[in-house]
Amino acid sequence: MSTPNTMPGTRKRGAGRVSGKTDGLIRQYDLRKPPVAAAYTLMMIVAALAVALSVAPLIWTILGGFKTMQEFSRGVKTVGADGKNKWVMAFLPVSFSLDGYIETWRQTKFMRNYLNSLYAVLGCCASALLFNGLMAYGLSRLKPRGWRVADALVTGSLLLPGMINIVPLFINLTRLGLTRSFIPLWLGVGASAFTIILFKNFYDAMPSSLFEAARLDGCSNLQMFFRIVMPLSMPINMVVLIFTVNGAWSDFLLPYLLLNNSPSATVMVRLFEFRVATAGVTAIEVLRATVFSILPPIALFIIFQRQITSNVMASGMKG
Amino acid sequence: MRALSWMVLGLGGLCLLLGILALAGIAPVLYGGWLLTAGIAGLFAGWYLSLSAGMLESAGGGEQARLRLRRLSRLKYDLGAWFIMAPCAILFLFFIYDPLIESVRLSFFETKGMTTVRFVGFQNYRRMLIHPDFWPSVRNSFMYTFWSLAIGFMVPIVMSVIVNEMIIGKNLARTAIYLPVIVPGLATVVLWRFIFSAEASGGMNMLLAALGLPRTTYLSNPSIVIPIIVLTMTWRNAGSTTLIYLAGLQSIDPQHYEAAIIDGAGVWRRLIHITIPNIYNLARTLLILQIIAVFQIIYEPLVMTNGGPNNASVSMMQVVYRYAFERFDYSHATAMSVIIAVILLALTLVYNRIGKPSEAY
Repeated sequence: MSTPNTMPGTRKRGAGRVSGKTDGLIRQYDLRKPPVAAAYTLMMIVAALAVALSVAPLIWTILGGFKTMQEFSRGVKTVGADGKNKWVMAFLPVSFSLDGYIETWRQTKFMRNYLNSLYAVLGCCASALLFNGLMAYGLSRLKPRGWRVADALVTGSLLLPGMINIVPLFINLTRLGLTRSFIPLWLGVGASAFTIILFKNFYDAMPSSLFEAARLDGCSNLQMFFRIVMPLSMPINMVVLIFTVNGAWSDFLLPYLLLNNSPSATVMVRLFEFRVATAGVTAIEVLRATVFSILPPIALFIIFQRQITSNVMASGMKG
Repeated sequence: MRALSWMVLGLGGLCLLLGILALAGIAPVLYGGWLLTAGIAGLFAGWYLSLSAGMLESAGGGEQARLRLRRLSRLKYDLGAWFIMAPCAILFLFFIYDPLIESVRLSFFETKGMTTVRFVGFQNYRRMLIHPDFWPSVRNSFMYTFWSLAIGFMVPIVMSVIVNEMIIGKNLARTAIYLPVIVPGLATVVLWRFIFSAEASGGMNMLLAALGLPRTTYLSNPSIVIPIIVLTMTWRNAGSTTLIYLAGLQSIDPQHYEAAIIDGAGVWRRLIHITIPNIYNLARTLLILQIIAVFQIIYEPLVMTNGGPNNASVSMMQVVYRYAFERFDYSHATAMSVIIAVILLALTLVYNRIGKPSEAY
């Protein structure tokens, strides 16, 4: 998959401001023709609709969480034109008080799940940086004899259907007594071809003179990794961390198999347990728990929005 | 030194042998994959030690010894480098390749809990084929794939072309379209289950009520349950694919467009002859990736419908889940996974055969 030869967005913006649209498929003078102008308007309307559609379900959920149980399931009691009482469903809640959210947070003891998820996420980050970083360093710089075997192991895993492994993996982990433990989740992140390729592309672009100088100064391979490669690859570390945090937070099947019904259930595991009525939670509480589970990734996304979008584009792979 | 190296070498060989036997199901060893890995590592270590021992003994001097030393330093370098790469390589073996082998092996055995009882050949597969969940799940998996291509394949292409042409609000559009991707998959599934709920509180029913229409059912209607699930998947996944196409569009050389404009090509002709051919190969790759991903769908039916109504939305991966984690019947579960893997492999091969990448545009 190709890497764009310009940084995404930079060329476009500069050119666009000066004299209308001088780039891309449709140019400024095309817009003088009525059919093109109409098509362009239609395209902008579609874009606006797409933006609205992307955001609307999330907003609907967050708004729904503000409602009370009765307001959510039956609506608001109002007096109709004929003088009778009527139940009306409204998109907006009656009040924007956070009491409902706070109560659900307390009652479901969601704090514990947040802490568990945080614990899982931190371990995954360390594992991604260390294991995948070292592997990429080996593949990109050290290249010992037989490195192509390791390269094939890594890239080959991209071709395998991801879910096929889950049953034997679960059996192996059970035999090793690693259920109810975060260790498999942490280590599992270390087998990520996506991260290794991100790292490797970055390391490949580092100047070799750096490495030669360090070697002359008597740096060993490992020292070189921790003293030179790591500090110089902060941008890619950042990207990997963002993807790892999001992936670890969202990961569900393996955490569920290992941690369900245990005090160390992560946020996603808890949410999945809520899907059945026996979990003893009401619909509105499930809705609020959903909001709890999506807020951290959204916050992360709002903060690192530019890094995330431009890196998905640059790497040309799914995050 | 010599003795030590022979000991390590012997131990490694033993581990390797036991590992192979265990994987073949002959020796009653608890865990074959680890032994195999340990065996390979042991052989390497033994080899290294014996060579170091050799070096110590023959460091007498002369041309021969110098050559040997150089070879040895290269070997030392290789082993050091492999030592750095080994942790991650072991993780790949443990989390990906060993389960793959085990999956195939278990599918040929009768199991009781987590232990294998005896080799049964293709019996698990035969029993799979006549199970009432099997054919609905196969049909549904293909239906999911079909609908996701029908509904979802063009969406990112169209969106990326549109976003690429935007002058104002481009960044906002890109961010908003990517937002659903960042939301955890399971949370989106739970969220969409609320929206398509048959109750008056469901988001879609609220919308219908606001338009003055009667409310209806969605996920309990067998004829539309799959397209609806695919709609939610498209909502979630279109953003990342759009961004990839957008990168493809931005890497098109502007000179192509300028040349076409000088030749008098209109917007439509430019789209057909320049834009589309430039992202054709990307689209090809993303198509097969989408097929592979959708074929393994599990969360959506598991959470939104639990496969219902009456198996109308059960997927093949969900059958694996039912066997393995509801009935603890691991041999049938792995047989099912192997069937999925074989179907996907066949699809990929056929796909690569029929549509060769286009070279010229």
